[in-house]
Amino acid sequence: MGLDTKIYIRFVLIFAVCVNFNGFSQEEEEKQVLPYESKYKDPKTKVWVNTYGKIRIGKRLFWDAQTHFRFQETEKTPFLGQIAQIYNRHAIGYIYSKKVNFSLGGVVRINFNTDEESIDRNVVPEWRIWHQYQFAMPLYSAMIYHRIRIEHRWTQGFAENSDYIFRNRWRYLFRAKIPLNSHKLEPKTIYVAPEAELIMQSGKAVVDSPMEDLRLTTTLGYIVTPRLTFAAGLMYSQGQTLENGGNFNQNWTMRVHMYYSPDFRKVRSKLPEIHLED
Amino acid sequence: MIRSKKSYFPVFLCFMVFSFVYMNAQEPEIQQFEGSLQLGEFIGEAKYEYKIAEGDTLRDGAFQMNRSNLQALLDEEDSSFSFTGAFKDNVPEGFWRFQFGEFQSDSKTQVVDIQYQVKVSGRQEVASGVIKDGKPHGKWTYTIDQIKDSEVEKLLFKSTIDFEEGIPQRSFRIENDSSTLVGRFLRNGLAHDEWSLFVNTDLGDTENWIFNDGILQVIEQQKNGLRNTIRVFDDTPKTTKTINLDSRYIKALQLQRSISDGVELFDKGIPRLLGENVKYYQKLDAILTELGESSFLPEFKVKVPYFPLDSLEINILDSIQTRLKKLREISSSFLNDSHLNILKLSDPDIQYHYEVVRKISETYLNPLERMLAYRESDIVEFATREKLIHNLWPEGLPSKELTVTIEVDSVSFSRTFELPDADNYKFEDYDMTSMDGLSRYAENSLHTVEEILGAKLTQEKNQQELIALEKELLAQNNELQQLIDSTQHTLGAAYKKALGRIKAVSDKKLSDFSSKEEVNSGRELVVCYKRMNLLAKSVAALPTRSKEIATVYNDRIWNPFMATLMDEEVKKRITNAYRQVLVPHFLERIQTDLSCENAGELTTQIENTVQRILQLREEDTSKVERKLRKEQDPQVVLQLFDVQPMTEEN
Repeated sequence: MGLDTKIYIRFVLIFAVCVNFNGFSQEEEEKQVLPYESKYKDPKTKVWVNTYGKIRIGKRLFWDAQTHFRFQETEKTPFLGQIAQIYNRHAIGYIYSKKVNFSLGGVVRINFNTDEESIDRNVVPEWRIWHQYQFAMPLYSAMIYHRIRIEHRWTQGFAENSDYIFRNRWRYLFRAKIPLNSHKLEPKTIYVAPEAELIMQSGKAVVDSPMEDLRLTTTLGYIVTPRLTFAAGLMYSQGQTLENGGNFNQNWTMRVHMYYSPDFRKVRSKLPEIHLED
Repeated sequence: MIRSKKSYFPVFLCFMVFSFVYMNAQEPEIQQFEGSLQLGEFIGEAKYEYKIAEGDTLRDGAFQMNRSNLQALLDEEDSSFSFTGAFKDNVPEGFWRFQFGEFQSDSKTQVVDIQYQVKVSGRQEVASGVIKDGKPHGKWTYTIDQIKDSEVEKLLFKSTIDFEEGIPQRSFRIENDSSTLVGRFLRNGLAHDEWSLFVNTDLGDTENWIFNDGILQVIEQQKNGLRNTIRVFDDTPKTTKTINLDSRYIKALQLQRSISDGVELFDKGIPRLLGENVKYYQKLDAILTELGESSFLPEFKVKVPYFPLDSLEINILDSIQTRLKKLREISSSFLNDSHLNILKLSDPDIQYHYEVVRKISETYLNPLERMLAYRESDIVEFATREKLIHNLWPEGLPSKELTVTIEVDSVSFSRTFELPDADNYKFEDYDMTSMDGLSRYAENSLHTVEEILGAKLTQEKNQQELIALEKELLAQNNELQQLIDSTQHTLGAAYKKALGRIKAVSDKKLSDFSSKEEVNSGRELVVCYKRMNLLAKSVAALPTRSKEIATVYNDRIWNPFMATLMDEEVKKRITNAYRQVLVPHFLERIQTDLSCENAGELTTQIENTVQRILQLREEDTSKVERKLRKEQDPQVVLQLFDVQPMTEEN
């Protein structure tokens, strides 16, 4: 599949979505045509630089502050690519127990048009409301995490005056963190974290492509202090394109993470231990 | 008429009311007491009348108090008592009866005339008579009976004495189960004529004390058919003094040389029976004194020869008393010195001086002490000085030469001690001046021996102490070595080096001492070794203390990404300053500047620092932490930590 075709398809699809919302049906038919076999697009490479903050603001509350910079390969800048999205995810988290916590918040994602030939807008915002339920469980020296994240998402294309489409995302993440040079996750520990996340979606615009993304990642991390951790990993992901469930995107993503969890409360109010009961 | 009658009535009424009020004000109202009362050892139910005058409670009127416990009687034994009598203005007055009983019962009861009766056995004391103005008046009897099945089985004691306002009169009779004493008094209470004691059990043994106007003339004894007449006082005395016939009088009698061998006499016979009587009267007196104002003790009066002390004699006795107290301390300290007691076995010279001390004590100090005891008993003046001194040294006044026997290798021989200036002391006469000379001779003799023995003891003690010190030093040296050995594999190089230095300094001191062998430096070295050992222990404990500090400065942090608790070291600047500045500083000081004098100080500083660091965990240290930034000077760090400046150990 040549570059021209790609651009063409994208253009048509975005157009089709708009038309679909406007009640047109001519292109809809075209979209509905499923290939006889699923088609896998060539994988794209991306680089994500993510910061994750969990800032304690109370006995049981924290502020979840994430800023991600996502780069995507282009013709001019292969591999590392150019900035594709700047991602601001915020929430208020509630610590139910040491092993269970919940979050509720919003996302503003700035999408950059990575299509160098496009004449459309360069930047469009995307809005989400999200809530998340995370459960941790120890397993031998490792920890296992289950994360259910539900997002309500409003997106729009780069085309001038495009309307927002609304979708729900249903995400389940399974992740393990296995210490490599220690018997538990503690400072000065290198750990390996295999993870798998399945992202399903639903909404009027989603007809035959409920599986938005399946992400398989392996990360290596290093716990510097109880409040600071760095990690880097490689993710392979695939998912149905919205416009045609028969077509699959593929991505290889380099991910770099910084996790920080400062606590600016006074020492006195932090005691004891987990500082839940103080 | 009617008119005038009417007009006088209010006046009459006023007069009546006034006089009623006045009478009441004059005569305090008599009140009744009924309830529990304690009189010394006696606790019972009392019932009596009293009045309040000027805030004081005055017993006035009938009095009775008693106690008995049927249950106690049936269970085991009951001590009952009953006192009845009367008071007038808080002074006993009228007929009084005292009864004390100690009874057991066989717990068998019988009913007689609708009353339960329990027969008792035991002992009953009854005393009764009239008291006038707090003193016995008229005939008083005190009877003690042995009771069996509620009947008198045997008379244990009985005294019958006639009084006239507290003064015994006419004849009296005191008997117990074995003897009877009869005698009589003059109107003024002085013993007179023949007092006779008949012993019931033996074959007509008697003892007669024959008084003339209070002065005991002769004691006649008939014992086992042998008759013995003792003349008590040598001559008819010129001056006499009237005293009570009590234990003091008996002591005064003993003081008379002529009967000094008759000590036995005064433990038995008449004195014993009199003493028994006094004991019972004292019991009544104690009760009456608790209740009000009285002087119940019977005063049997006698006369004794009287030789008063003049002021010079009093001064001499005073100075002897002071002197003797010190001398007794010295002699006892030698005689009871266990070390000296051992030494004398091996050293004939010490044995000799030890025996001299003993001899001084026996020959001079003991009799002088007896003389002071006479004075204490207030009987010194009842004998001539000659008699008194004879009594103390029956075989004549002691010589200045003290001959003692010592034993060397199972061979005994005598040595004589005499002060070189013995001629300066005179004690040949039987008077107080002589006593003064004798006591001074004893004093100087003892001081002379004290000097010799003291020096010997000191020398010997030094030797002993040196041995003990060496032992102690060796033990401490071993302790230090053991600490070094035991930490050989656990301590880091810097610590081992510090311990090595401590050992080196100690060893140097020990070798210095070995060349001198002096008690004082030995004592100092023991102190030094103690400090060094403590310092070594402190140094060896430093790694453990560091771990302890690390634990204390550890905080458990919950990591929200991992959902686990993680250890986090807090206040790192403080712990870093401790680990990187202070500990190296302490170890460095030991290397460069360790001495006996500052070892204690260093230990204290190390210990204080550790304690302080542990305390700082809980304190607000933001200011200190800020100032600690890049601070490398240990003195500044110590100051910031507010570690107490060195307190010199003694």
